[in-house]
Amino acid sequence: MRVIPFRAMSATSEVPAAFRNAAGERGPVRLVLDGFHDIRSRQRLVRYLVQADIHKRGADTLLGNIWWVLDPLLQMLVYVVFLTILVSNRPEDYPLFVFAAILPWKWFSASVTDATSSIVRNDQLIKQIQFPKIVLPVAATTAGIVSFAFGVIALVLLMLFYPDRYSIYLLWIPVIAAVQFVFTLAFSFLVAAGNVFFRDLNNVVGHVLRLWWFLSPGLYSIESLDKAGFLKDHPTLLTLFNLNPFAILFTAYRTVIYGTNGTPPTGPTSPDLQALVVLLLGSLVFLVFTTWVFKRLEPNFAKII
Amino acid sequence: MTALLRRPPKVEPKAAYAIATSDLGVRYDLRFTKKTTVRSSIATVLGRNSVEQFWALRHVNLKVQRGESLAVIGPNGAGKSTLLQVLAGIIWPSEGAVDVVGHISGLLSLGAGFDKELSGRDNILLGGAFLGLDDAVTRELLPSIIDYAELGEFIDAPLRTYSAGMRARLGFSIATAVDPDILLLDEVLATGDANFRAKSKQRVIDIATAAKAVVLVTHDMSWVTEYCNRAMLIELGRIVMEGEPAEVVELHQQHQEEARARATEAARKAGVDPRIVQIR
Repeated sequence: MRVIPFRAMSATSEVPAAFRNAAGERGPVRLVLDGFHDIRSRQRLVRYLVQADIHKRGADTLLGNIWWVLDPLLQMLVYVVFLTILVSNRPEDYPLFVFAAILPWKWFSASVTDATSSIVRNDQLIKQIQFPKIVLPVAATTAGIVSFAFGVIALVLLMLFYPDRYSIYLLWIPVIAAVQFVFTLAFSFLVAAGNVFFRDLNNVVGHVLRLWWFLSPGLYSIESLDKAGFLKDHPTLLTLFNLNPFAILFTAYRTVIYGTNGTPPTGPTSPDLQALVVLLLGSLVFLVFTTWVFKRLEPNFAKII
Repeated sequence: MTALLRRPPKVEPKAAYAIATSDLGVRYDLRFTKKTTVRSSIATVLGRNSVEQFWALRHVNLKVQRGESLAVIGPNGAGKSTLLQVLAGIIWPSEGAVDVVGHISGLLSLGAGFDKELSGRDNILLGGAFLGLDDAVTRELLPSIIDYAELGEFIDAPLRTYSAGMRARLGFSIATAVDPDILLLDEVLATGDANFRAKSKQRVIDIATAAKAVVLVTHDMSWVTEYCNRAMLIELGRIVMEGEPAEVVELHQQHQEEARARATEAARKAGVDPRIVQIR
């Protein structure tokens, strides 16, 4: 019997010597820096987790990858059928109009739902090995990018029916998606950590997401609310409405994919860059804050789950 | 050979010990450990639920020298696993301090594996990434880990098809393949067949004799007396005795017999035959 020789442990492993003290609390700046360092130093782990996730979801369903393309299209179809029955005054090319919002929303809601349970789901691992728990929501959010990419394929297919909407502005999609990713990541840290302490946060998140979708201009546009006179009497409501990150994101996606349906309606153009930059900066601040919250709560995870 | 070249500078034994704790305590806040819901937390804030705290470990002072293998024994729920979790850095101490010198490796209970849907091979890669190994190192270790775990053809089958023994073998191979300075093991020796048990014993002894430290939790007393050079008895979160394995094991067995006798006595006093179990 051959006993394998012991080999060297890599230099990238955990800090070799550790002194842990009950009183040794790290300050907020330290915690945030540690959090970002955890993510950077464990890129490989994030990649494996993402690959495992894709492998599982792809292999388990009958239609495999085709399902990922069909999924957002079918959801779009449901809304279009419903609203065709209910609402007479719809924007033209309504399927594309709705799809421009469903595409980013499915990514966000799937990532957040997945991230919410990411810590609790891995309770066995967390009790067995010491690793930066922050990689779990990062992996959940990153895996969402893949389904977003499949959604873009669906978009291209859908746009075959609307050839006059094709434009160079579609190239803005990755830029808008990058802003959305930062916001999604920040939000994921919060729900992932929160779910450890409040197990029914899972349900709460599901309902909040549903409400959020209908309060965001996905099935309608802000202009159409304006036209209906609803927001004229309530200017503060309009301000609140515009503070919703998804008001900015949906409008941006729709502007580059579909155009605007103001008076007069225009074809696809550049998005409102100022709003996007503001959202990006806001999301980065939010990310720093939620990273701090996550790192602050992290030492308690193993005890509680 | 390349692995040798990549070997990081050895951690110089600045301290004579590998692990030292001073007045270590771990407190569980029972408010959160029960599956909490938003509703029950509001009830707590409103003062309807009482808040309980539970010290799983308290006033633990221990020193593990290099080359020593320490057995931690004690009845169920004594705090043995909690101790390993604190040493591994999984739990932060609530009181006192832990000082660990060197690379630490431990899969505390080896049965779980990393991802049931992935193959054994992918699990090794994922496990290496979780343990913080460089990917190149894990890939280099891959053949020897597979070989050591004796998984054969099964290495490319999903982990969910493995038996408990196969999973434990895989976990043990991963945890010990990384040449840790300190190895933490929890109840692993009872897994696998007789051959693998003998093999894993040898591996643990090798690590201990290579001037590394081993801390293991086990209920296998013959292991403690034969292969550990020190033992520690923990009861109700406190160290009861520490020293020569044979003496500590004797005290532990004595305490267990006393506990059994007390239980029988209590049952007799209550007029209940201890062999009859009421099921509600």
